[in-house]
Amino acid sequence: MIRLEDIHKRYRSPVLRGIDLHVPAGCIYALIGPGASGKSVLLKVVAGLVRPERGKVYVDGEELGELDDLGLASVRRKIGMLFQNYALFDMTVFENIAFPLRRLYDLPDTEVRERVAERLARVALPGTEDRDPSRMSGGQKKRIGVARATVARPPIVLYDEPTAGLDPVTSQKIYDLIRDEQRAQGTTVMVISSDVSGVLSIADRVGMLHEGELVFDGTAEEARDSTIPAVRQFVHGLVEGPL
Amino acid sequence: MRSGLTRSIAALFEDAHQLGSLFGRTLYYLLHGKREKGSVARMMFEVGNKSLLFMCVTMGFIGAIIAFQTGLQAKKLVPDFSMIGATYLKLLVRDLAASLGALPLATRVGAGIAAELGSMVVTEQVDALRMCAADPVDYLVVPRFVASVVMGTVVLIIGGFVAYLAGMAVAQMVFDVNPHTFTNLSMVTTGDLTLGLFKCITYGGAIAIVSSQRGLATFGGSEGVGHATTEAVVGSCFAIIVLNLIISTLGYFFVPAL
Ligand SMILES: Nc1ncnc2c1ncn2[C@@H]1O[C@H](COP(=O)(O)OP(=O)(O)O)[C@@H](O)[C@H]1O
Ligand SMILES: [Mg+2]
Repeated sequence: MIRLEDIHKRYRSPVLRGIDLHVPAGCIYALIGPGASGKSVLLKVVAGLVRPERGKVYVDGEELGELDDLGLASVRRKIGMLFQNYALFDMTVFENIAFPLRRLYDLPDTEVRERVAERLARVALPGTEDRDPSRMSGGQKKRIGVARATVARPPIVLYDEPTAGLDPVTSQKIYDLIRDEQRAQGTTVMVISSDVSGVLSIADRVGMLHEGELVFDGTAEEARDSTIPAVRQFVHGLVEGPL
Repeated sequence: MRSGLTRSIAALFEDAHQLGSLFGRTLYYLLHGKREKGSVARMMFEVGNKSLLFMCVTMGFIGAIIAFQTGLQAKKLVPDFSMIGATYLKLLVRDLAASLGALPLATRVGAGIAAELGSMVVTEQVDALRMCAADPVDYLVVPRFVASVVMGTVVLIIGGFVAYLAGMAVAQMVFDVNPHTFTNLSMVTTGDLTLGLFKCITYGGAIAIVSSQRGLATFGGSEGVGHATTEAVVGSCFAIIVLNLIISTLGYFFVPAL
């Protein structure tokens, strides 16, 4: 479903240095790694928001580098994305969640209302349509972001730090939500998280980025048993190690 | 080895290229875009509302100062004030109303645009727009461009009018020039009006393009937004001065002053 081949991206210094990665359809792929290791940039490469200098990105069989704006837009329709910094617009909760539906599909108003209400109920914020997201808590904003990312029922959903800064109970609720949604819709999911134990509880596969390289790629089981020093240290939260 | 100078010249060309490309895309989406209804009107209100009072106060002071200083100098050359109003008006129409007014306009409108777009970039709202097939140029830059051109022009004209009135007051109070004598439109030609209007429109557009480009290129949290805002104001003012040089030179040949 998603395949990256030899992805290189640099800003002032190299950020991604030759990433090869494959996410099969219907899989929850967890991307872990220390801060500033390039996780967010990698997710944006998948969404076609960042163009790599080298390498190929295949999403649902299409190579993003070969697409024009129109082609890219049609690939992005298949992708829902939750951003690390919420990325909620200066509009009401309803307008935020309805935004992808209105921009990407031509649906009657009643259906838009129904789908937004259904999403809000799903993220446990029913009846908050008219509120202003900037006055809501971090956890609530994340959940509105989840609702917006999934409202158009995209076959691929990318979550960038869905639980950062949240308490453990809320975090677990969000993970459960992500997994239940994925199981129900059969979507392909990539999720970035620094909360390793939480995200491993729902992931089918795990990749770990370290200084722009994919130092580990395997199942959640394999990640827990890995003998690679950086992976061992990060997964088990040890103080001693190369990180 | 590339010296500092060649590097900064290269950076200048790179900037010019970026601005030109953003300008091109803005014009394209102006004609082909599918942005939200009402966004242009909202931006026009914002630009006008934010800058009108500031512009009137600044241009009032600047107008008074210019009239006072030129009056003092003129008195030494020709001790006759009968044409002071006419020349002052011509100066305002041809250049000063647009070029001096555009600088405070740049600080107000340019900083506003860059801060707004910059914070949308760092909170990833711009990425979220792109995920929903809303091109940031179409969705964010075009309404600001139109608003800045239209309302910028309106505000600059009002500012010029205020500067004229301030000059009139100074002329009467300091040099004893009767407002009737001061009000003398005889020297202003259609060419002057065209030139002045063209400057207003160009500066309004330049402020929007430079500031949008800076805003959309923001990186790195609130510090990045601050940096982009400063650069937007500096860049806009620089653009206004360069454009003034170009337009005034062309104007000298094609719309000669009497
Ligand atoms: N637009 C950009 N301009 C310059 N540097 C960037 C940009 N985006 C990301 N970076 C840099 O790339 C590195 C990786 O960033 P990121 O992917 O956000 O890390 P993380 O793994 O914490 O999500 C960081 O050092 C960051 O400063
Ligand atoms: Mg990140």
